[in-house]
Amino acid sequence: MLKYWTVFKLTIKEYFVYRLNFLLWRLRVFLSYLVIFFIWLTVFESKTNFASYNKALLLTYLLISNLISSFVLGTRTADIGAEINSGKIINLLLKPISFFKYYLTLDLADKFLNFFCAFFEITLLVIIFKIPIIDLKNPLLFLIFFINGVAISFFLSLIISFLGFWTTETWAPRFIFTTLIFFLSGAYFPLDLLPFNLYFFFLISPFPYLFYLPTKILIGKIDQLIYFQFIMSFIWVLLSYKISYKMWVNGNKSFSFFGR
Amino acid sequence: MKHSLKIFFYLTKLSLKTIFQNKIGSMFFIIGKLIRFVFFVFFIYILFSQTKLIRNYNFNQIIIFYLTFNLIDTLSQALFREVYRFRPLILSGNFDLVLTKPHHPFLKILLGGVDFLDVFLFIPYIGLIIYFGLKIPNIHLISVFLYILFIFNSLLITTAFHIAVLAFGILTTSVDHIIFIYRDLMSVGRFPIDIYKSPVREIFIFFIPTAVVMTFPAKILLGILTWPFFLWSFFVSLLSLFLALRLWDFALRKYQSYGG
Repeated sequence: MLKYWTVFKLTIKEYFVYRLNFLLWRLRVFLSYLVIFFIWLTVFESKTNFASYNKALLLTYLLISNLISSFVLGTRTADIGAEINSGKIINLLLKPISFFKYYLTLDLADKFLNFFCAFFEITLLVIIFKIPIIDLKNPLLFLIFFINGVAISFFLSLIISFLGFWTTETWAPRFIFTTLIFFLSGAYFPLDLLPFNLYFFFLISPFPYLFYLPTKILIGKIDQLIYFQFIMSFIWVLLSYKISYKMWVNGNKSFSFFGR
Repeated sequence: MKHSLKIFFYLTKLSLKTIFQNKIGSMFFIIGKLIRFVFFVFFIYILFSQTKLIRNYNFNQIIIFYLTFNLIDTLSQALFREVYRFRPLILSGNFDLVLTKPHHPFLKILLGGVDFLDVFLFIPYIGLIIYFGLKIPNIHLISVFLYILFIFNSLLITTAFHIAVLAFGILTTSVDHIIFIYRDLMSVGRFPIDIYKSPVREIFIFFIPTAVVMTFPAKILLGILTWPFFLWSFFVSLLSLFLALRLWDFALRKYQSYGG
């Protein structure tokens, strides 16, 4: 356990070695909040309600979903594809540590740092623009969905990276994956604003389970599909774990480490 | 000039050939960009499903802003893709080899890698601008002429920015974060600058010219750009180009050939 704690601490320290890069990266993340935040703020200048959302509820949704996504989506597994392609992965495989636990530790360090910075930035936004925030609810149910979201995100990202065992072009599927996440996980608007059939179709995919549903539960908007969503979130955890594990096993069998 | 054009077309031809070497990756990349575009249009559609106007702009007008943003953004990415690959040249010392060639270094490091993956996207963007432009009343031939003129003006500013990034690359060896900060700052222009509250709006007009680059061309097409801002646009482009070239000269004098 101690070795993973050391990995965790070193990962955090690594970010602070390149301080300017770190600051610029956070500025980029902050800018990406601004566009969506301001467009919704403008919409509510002429309206008090948008479908079933009032101003406070929708803005709380946007800010909380950003905060949760900063944790759920924070990952270092995106590096694995390049490490497989370059053969660098052999360095890790030869060490007496678990590959999955090692990357989970890197991910957790990234997630905590992301979350801490996002919390600070969002608080700043709330104070400067005097955003009304509603009280948060259902902490226990939120926790279950949140942990499932973190697990699904971790395994899906591994699946994309493990494509590196069979192709050198892992960046393109990741680009599509990232694009899909931001729209189908509700980063721009709550998915229940969509027509019901389309909303239900999205609920079959893993994306709403990443941070849309945890946020929705936290702001107290539980709908009649909650049992279905609960079961689906566990199904996606299991399915994404099984697929990533199978890809890992098969990838290791078919892979040759050239150049090292 | 003829000599430079010959080199430019030769490098462009080579750049096109590299796309056909990564057919699957290229295909995924274009699909990813199209998905992102379609989803964002869908997001705008969702916003207008509950309201007719956002800050006095209707759906067609907001789409014109978004399409103009995409056109300028894609145009500058397509032309200046080589800037993204400048850092390794500096770190390895291979920039010396560019400087000793009998042509202007910008031919290689600024314009030497036209990205055809972005060029392909012009077709849907221009087609849609014409389609939505025809739906908006009071767009005259002179507005269309001024729109094209303003797009060229925006391109001058983006050129200046990319030259400045190259200069910073020489001075600090940092390119990636600066270029991505630029892109995030420009992404603020996906919507009319009027949606942002003061002083954010003024910052993006007078200090960081996102509004000038991304939203003024659409405003001139819609006939809502006032004369002072008309003049401000051309002043900004000339000033930024002048400053960028001065910075480039300064950086070249400081260049020490780090690598090699």
